[in-house]
Amino acid sequence: MEVKEQLSNVTAPSVHLLGKRIPAKPLNKAAIVTRLTLFILAALTVYAFYSFDYKELDFMDALLGTFANLKTIFLEPHLKHFSFGHALYQVMVTLGLAFLTTLFGAIIAVLFGLMAAENLSSRRVSIVIKSMVAFIRAVPTVLWVLIFAVAAGLGSTAAVIGMTFHSIGYLIKAYSESFEELDRGVIEALQASGANWWQIVFQAVIPSSITYMISWTFLRFEINFAVAVAMGAAAGAGGIGFDMFMASSFYLDMREIGAITYFILAVAVILEIFAAKIKRKLKTV
Amino acid sequence: MAALLEVNHLTKQFGKDSKALTDVSFSVQEGEFVSIIGPSGAGKSTLLRCINRMIDASGGEIRFQDHHVMDLKKKELKQVRTKIGMIFQHYNLVNRLSVIENTLHGKLGTKSTWAGVLGLYSNEEKKQAIQILNVLGLNEMIYKRADQLSGGQKQRVGIARALIQNPRMLLCDEPIASLDPNSAKVIMDHLKKVSTTMGITVVVNLHQVDVAIKYSDRIIGINKGQVVYNGSAKALTSEDIQRIYGSEAEDLIFDIGGIHAG
Ligand SMILES: Nc1ncnc2c1ncn2[C@@H]1O[C@H](COP(=O)(O)OP(=O)(O)OP(=O)(O)O)[C@@H](O)[C@H]1O
Ligand SMILES: [Mg+2]
Repeated sequence: MEVKEQLSNVTAPSVHLLGKRIPAKPLNKAAIVTRLTLFILAALTVYAFYSFDYKELDFMDALLGTFANLKTIFLEPHLKHFSFGHALYQVMVTLGLAFLTTLFGAIIAVLFGLMAAENLSSRRVSIVIKSMVAFIRAVPTVLWVLIFAVAAGLGSTAAVIGMTFHSIGYLIKAYSESFEELDRGVIEALQASGANWWQIVFQAVIPSSITYMISWTFLRFEINFAVAVAMGAAAGAGGIGFDMFMASSFYLDMREIGAITYFILAVAVILEIFAAKIKRKLKTV
Repeated sequence: MAALLEVNHLTKQFGKDSKALTDVSFSVQEGEFVSIIGPSGAGKSTLLRCINRMIDASGGEIRFQDHHVMDLKKKELKQVRTKIGMIFQHYNLVNRLSVIENTLHGKLGTKSTWAGVLGLYSNEEKKQAIQILNVLGLNEMIYKRADQLSGGQKQRVGIARALIQNPRMLLCDEPIASLDPNSAKVIMDHLKKVSTTMGITVVVNLHQVDVAIKYSDRIIGINKGQVVYNGSAKALTSEDIQRIYGSEAEDLIFDIGGIHAG
């Protein structure tokens, strides 16, 4: 009922406008749906804030309290429940989880990426793989981990399988698109000289797309590092994420959370620098 | 002399009712230099690509050496393809690889899958590659990346890749269409030299009638998928050109006498 009324509200004025002004955008069905969606979202947001149960919360107090906590976390970090060496080791565990899942994902994705590339595969196989990839990618990594946790139990096994699974989907899409960049003529030239599919793949397709493949893989590695931290906390996969979880909900030690955050930040920065270096090198090759 | 290539009643149909080739018959002798000319869309590329089965013809017969090309199984077809080099208008090199790597690609057809995948070439093969590149005047460029070359140089790498196959025949689909006149002449001279000194049969699609007349032993004219001229380059008259090119011919009949004289 309400929706219908809103719909007529939205469309009615524009009908009047038609004679006077020329709209810059044509008012078609898509435009109406977009506007309606935005309007409903805006209305819901306002309603949500209105209907929150604030209890006796004073907004100003809460804000100041939050700042005080942030100050404790970031300006007074310390390590109490474990040593620097332990933290470093746990970061390595998390990096290991990210590395392993990226590596597994990359190896499997190369094979399926070749089958998904339209210029290297049959149309039907390509479509089947691409739609499966679309499905895998639509479900977030964390959810895949939880799905596999049903069978493997919550822990590192589920984390490895779930993260690998989503990495495969992500990398198949990235790889197959860079394979498809290769000109059809190059493949034909090698076919015409009697070369077979595997030879063409390794002598023409992969050399042509290796730089893209490396940068996509590295990007995925960075994503997997972030996910691995979260998995340590949420899925009990171990690593620095688990220590963070312990510090925050077991020891309630905000200063330690700060120290761990700095640790993770440092690793992320190092990875970023490393990635930039690799990319620069690849460009000059 | 035996015919190296024989095409009999070849037809090619795309879709339902668009005939690209209709009853095409001709033969090519060992060592001959043959040009195929015709207006755009006449079916020149289609014809060339039917010969090594880059596309499958709809009907007729193709004989290369003693092979019935259209009946070949996958493995035999690959074997026949190693004996036929192909050269393209857009060179079709792997841009990120070096000149010598691109040249050695011509050897893949004769190697095992593994050796090809890993790029394991014997010393003799590498020596042959360098020798061919020398002949083509690319000795300075051996380790240059293909995308750093000029069009003419790229096409010479394309020729090197075809020659290292030790082919009996070269199929060239408008090898000079993207080149300036000087580079085009260099390429045509190399093709001619390949045919006369190595005895390799050359079949080349061309857009330029004057070039075809100058370099070929024989010219095959195609119009709307049919052979309308098949004879020596010397005997080509302006009426023949009219027949091959139809209404486009006016622009082409410049001074055919001058070309024959030259
Ligand atoms: N893959 C294809 N699918 C459908 N029709 C095609 C295909 N390839 C070629 N044709 C048609 O076949 C006819 C001959 O094409 P072809 O490319 O052989 O001509 P061409 O003589 O090489 O022309 P050009 O000089 O422009 O290269 C054209 O009418 C073209 O539209
Ligand atoms: Mg063509």
